[in-house]
Amino acid sequence: MSFAVFAFCLLKNNRFDIPGYIPQPIYPIPDNPSENDTVQLGRLLFYDNILSANNQVSCASCHSPYNAFAHTDHDLSHGVFDSIGTRNAPALFNLAWQKNFMWDGAIHHIEAQALAPLHDPKELGSSIEELIKKLEGSFFYRKEFLSVYGDSLISSSRVLKAIAAFELSLISFGSKYDQVKQGDAEFTEQEQNWYTHFQKQCNQCHAEPLFSGFQYKDNGLPIDPSLQDLGRYLVTGDEQDKYKFKVPSLRNLSYTFPYMHDGRFDRLRQVVEHYEMIESSQGKRHVDVKSISLTFNEQSDLIAFLLTLNDKSFVFNPAFSFPEKLKDALLKN
Amino acid sequence: MNVFRFYVSNLRITNGKNKSWKAPKKHYLIDFNLDANTENLIKVELPYDFKTGQIEFVLGIDSKTSAEGVGEGALDPVNAMYWTWQSGYINFKMEGVSMDSPARKNRFQLHLGGFRKPYISAQKVVLDYNHKGANPMICFDLVNFMKSIDLKSQHTIMSPSKEAVALSKLAKSCFYVK
Repeated sequence: MSFAVFAFCLLKNNRFDIPGYIPQPIYPIPDNPSENDTVQLGRLLFYDNILSANNQVSCASCHSPYNAFAHTDHDLSHGVFDSIGTRNAPALFNLAWQKNFMWDGAIHHIEAQALAPLHDPKELGSSIEELIKKLEGSFFYRKEFLSVYGDSLISSSRVLKAIAAFELSLISFGSKYDQVKQGDAEFTEQEQNWYTHFQKQCNQCHAEPLFSGFQYKDNGLPIDPSLQDLGRYLVTGDEQDKYKFKVPSLRNLSYTFPYMHDGRFDRLRQVVEHYEMIESSQGKRHVDVKSISLTFNEQSDLIAFLLTLNDKSFVFNPAFSFPEKLKDALLKN
Repeated sequence: MNVFRFYVSNLRITNGKNKSWKAPKKHYLIDFNLDANTENLIKVELPYDFKTGQIEFVLGIDSKTSAEGVGEGALDPVNAMYWTWQSGYINFKMEGVSMDSPARKNRFQLHLGGFRKPYISAQKVVLDYNHKGANPMICFDLVNFMKSIDLKSQHTIMSPSKEAVALSKLAKSCFYVK
């Protein structure tokens, strides 16, 4: 009896238990990521500074595992040579359910996404050509590619697909909300109070169970004149898309402050206050949200509910953290 | 001019009598700098009953391929024909220097791309040909192209737009068979 239980737990850790109420993902999720060669190669690349022009910045520099792969403590993320970018790096989890990537959906395929920060002078400041040259010059990577692919060809396709595979393996459905949904826990009265409100007021944009429909919405944030970031409009050129950004998921909020595309809010309470003060008519803007009015207690209920969406097991999962192999390789050099 | 390259996709030749020949590769990257001395960049071996007919191809990468992410070979982003800040292939790239261009260092950079509505810049090109002994060649009328663009105002095109589509249509019209 006890041996069977132990074996079941072991299996649970290796494979992903995607709860039944989660819709089908858009991208296939890698099987058995800790045994999956491509995922592990992607994980090495994700954490390796070799991707940047000055070999000092990696993907993980702005997408930190302890912060649900977001960039905390910085409103705007920064890259090589201390350059500051124009937006706050979003958290990376449950990417397989998203069609387009980045705050303005500029990237339409997950395999193409890594090219954007790779080439951006304020992020990694490099290029795919340069990266491939560096990888070809690395005995460590030539050995890795040989072991994964059977030959040591280092191509853009292999690099980008490996990084995408690692990113797709970042699954987060271990929050209290998920446990409640699966009958393994119960909301407190405070959390349940707001859950009921939530389903009426917030579900349109932050639809459960992913806590976003990943659409582009204008939530009434006054434009920051120092950034003039018009959001989705920069991709489509459609006037209707001005001031619209992709709705982020509300999962893991405690780990991913500051909030909004430009990181202007440090604390959740500030976000809540913003939603209480939205001006629906701001000149030509078509704001998609009406302001909500809450008592102080209701604000606390709301935040209590949001905290049930935190998935501690995700941020502490050793399968996603800095790979041991890279530590050894870096120590040798 | 120091950069001139474009994609040719779905190359097909028909002989006007319901027979068609498809190119072995779906996408080719024609790079005039790389193949400056080569005349026939895509070798075509046609059966003998293809004396006259039509050549058709897409100038650029079709929307479906673009939507599928990054590719290999001709589609490898290493070829610098892929936008990194916003996904999608650059169908046609031309760069150079001209006294007419008011841009920095008199440069002009035409990166024509876009695969989503309303700015789809890939163009289908259909040309009639007549195989009278000499091997037919598909040529690009560079003189006409340069004459038809106004570098004073169309010198830097780097995103999907109306201008990108207009110039793509112009490029399409510059292909002819010799």
